[in-house]
Amino acid sequence: MNNKINAIENDTSKTNGVFLGFLKNGLHITPAGLLGLVILLLLPNIAPFNQEYMIRWLVMGTFIAAGAIAFDFTGGYIGIVNFGFHAFVGLGGYTSGILAHRIGLSPWLGLFAGGIFAGALGFVLGVLTLRLRGIYAAVVAWFVGLALMGLATKLVWLTRGPLGLRVDRLFDSPSNKPYYYLIFIIMMIVYLITRKVVNSKIGLAFKAIGQNMEAAKTSGINPFFYRVSNFTISCTIAGFLGGFYAHYYGILTPELLHTTKTVEVLAVAYLAGRASLWGGIAVGIPFVFFTELMRSSLTELPGLNLVFYGLMLVWVMIYYPGGFAMFYDSITRKIKNTSLKRFFRG
Amino acid sequence: MLIKNILAKSTTTAGVVVTISIMVALYSAYDKGLYLAVNTVVMGGMLALMALGLALVFGVMNVAMFAHGEFFMIGSLSAFYIFPPIHEYLVENPNAFLSMIAPLIAILGALLIGMVVGVIVEKLVFSPLRKRSTDNWVMNSFLLTVGLSVILINGHQLVFGTESKTIVRYWSGRPLNIYDVYIARDRIITLFLSGIAVLLFWLFIKYSRTGRSIRAVSQDEKGALIVGINLTGIQMLTMSLSCGLAAYAGACLLFLYPSYPTVGIEPLYLAWFVVILAGLGNIMGAVVCAFIVSLLKVVTEAYVGSGWEYIVPSALIMLMLVFKPSGIFGSAVRGVHEQ
Repeated sequence: MNNKINAIENDTSKTNGVFLGFLKNGLHITPAGLLGLVILLLLPNIAPFNQEYMIRWLVMGTFIAAGAIAFDFTGGYIGIVNFGFHAFVGLGGYTSGILAHRIGLSPWLGLFAGGIFAGALGFVLGVLTLRLRGIYAAVVAWFVGLALMGLATKLVWLTRGPLGLRVDRLFDSPSNKPYYYLIFIIMMIVYLITRKVVNSKIGLAFKAIGQNMEAAKTSGINPFFYRVSNFTISCTIAGFLGGFYAHYYGILTPELLHTTKTVEVLAVAYLAGRASLWGGIAVGIPFVFFTELMRSSLTELPGLNLVFYGLMLVWVMIYYPGGFAMFYDSITRKIKNTSLKRFFRG
Repeated sequence: MLIKNILAKSTTTAGVVVTISIMVALYSAYDKGLYLAVNTVVMGGMLALMALGLALVFGVMNVAMFAHGEFFMIGSLSAFYIFPPIHEYLVENPNAFLSMIAPLIAILGALLIGMVVGVIVEKLVFSPLRKRSTDNWVMNSFLLTVGLSVILINGHQLVFGTESKTIVRYWSGRPLNIYDVYIARDRIITLFLSGIAVLLFWLFIKYSRTGRSIRAVSQDEKGALIVGINLTGIQMLTMSLSCGLAAYAGACLLFLYPSYPTVGIEPLYLAWFVVILAGLGNIMGAVVCAFIVSLLKVVTEAYVGSGWEYIVPSALIMLMLVFKPSGIFGSAVRGVHEQ
């Protein structure tokens, strides 16, 4: 069955030409997606967007988009809401930051150290909670996030608490541009890794568990194993992203682990559409850009951007659960013109 | 016979935990003074109300409520806007009877507002989702409550501002003197109020016809529908009761927890901790666990220092999940949530 699908895919790739075939089967990007990514790459050089604060927003949006992909990898495929997502981001950030600050480890290695630490915690947490119903994992991850935030506040000798831990930045230049390109590359790698996993046999097991646990069990899938491995991968990515955060902003405060940060990632992931992965990129960057614009232009109405976040989340959850990815899918499905359709749908 | 019964019960996990808690409470009260015990009981009573609502909504509607802290906030906000005007009126026209019941008016007003908010939330949020689809209901409804919480917190900030809105006290008068320990009247009366609420709630659930219907729905939704229970009505009532209880708790504790946008986070966290400890959906177990959690918080603050009350309970809950994932009382209605 699987071979057959591969054969068909190979077949289409031949007819589409080598480049389009590579785009589709190697990078899993549609031509329209490629165009979008090229625009994103050029954006910091184009007039209104080349100001430093705009590039800062772009970095923030790309960071959240990468997080949303990792979040969707768990939430969309195996149906576990990692409600302590930013606890793992924060753990990665603090690991990397403390190693750089105390031992003088290179920030570049620190990114990986952060990923490993967060992945290890994710593994332990997964082993403890994922044999129970999904809501346990969500609630306990939240508890762990609060506990880690408490530790980050209280262990002043290690983390300097609310004063903030100063960390070396990755690049010497004060410009935000190199960081933007770095986080862009990280986001693409995260997308590719998760996409490869999801399209493999393991991904098939993830989808089976997410859709119907009992049926998956009956087919001989061990849900515990797959859920824990999925959770661990997602947490590792979160930790890695945390390392980037630490060495981009140059200062770490316990606020990084706060639940509201998780809610931001969660909102983007679900607005983008569950089990889409690419939706995080398509929605995350414009959405963050828009809400930041709203926040900075309406300073006399603090919190309005977050009310908007919440309203969008509730509205989409009730009336449009497929999110942006489903919307895009249903629109492009109707296109009659073959080459246009291939452009949008790959 | 009685002794044998007590012995048999005390060897279960629940018995062991409760016994240890009582011993810890007695020791800490002896060591650090009676204040500790009073704080534990006041906090525990209010936590019981929060956790009751949480467990009720989870048991009946399968909604893992994350916005429960915001209903607490709504309650304290309502009481803040109801009580001071009456108080000002009283300063000009002293009236002994009115000054006795003025806080009660504020608290009951908050309860009413909370119940109305519950109905609105059910009508606007959960009912549309239920009509559309119940696939993957637990996670979807959980996400909805997250959105609701964000809206309410930031709505409060937008409309009422971030400053703390508080009152000095509800009941004036000298603090009561019990064995040379001075305890503010508010605390004693609050404890009394929470006790009454828990008792009334228990009687309602146990003996009234509507209460029986609520229990029936929590045990088997389809079965309840077949025997002619008005499911929509019960769901609305449950939501309304649960929000009302949280608002009541918020109003009672206004003198301790001033109303500001994120005031609900801590009660929410503690209430969830209670519910997990008691076993998801176990309604009356939550009352006992509320006092255990409150003791844990107060003792942690007294012996380890403030700020650690997030860390110690989380570590304990991880330990508990290793050994007894179904909670110390076990959840009797576990089967329903698997659906």
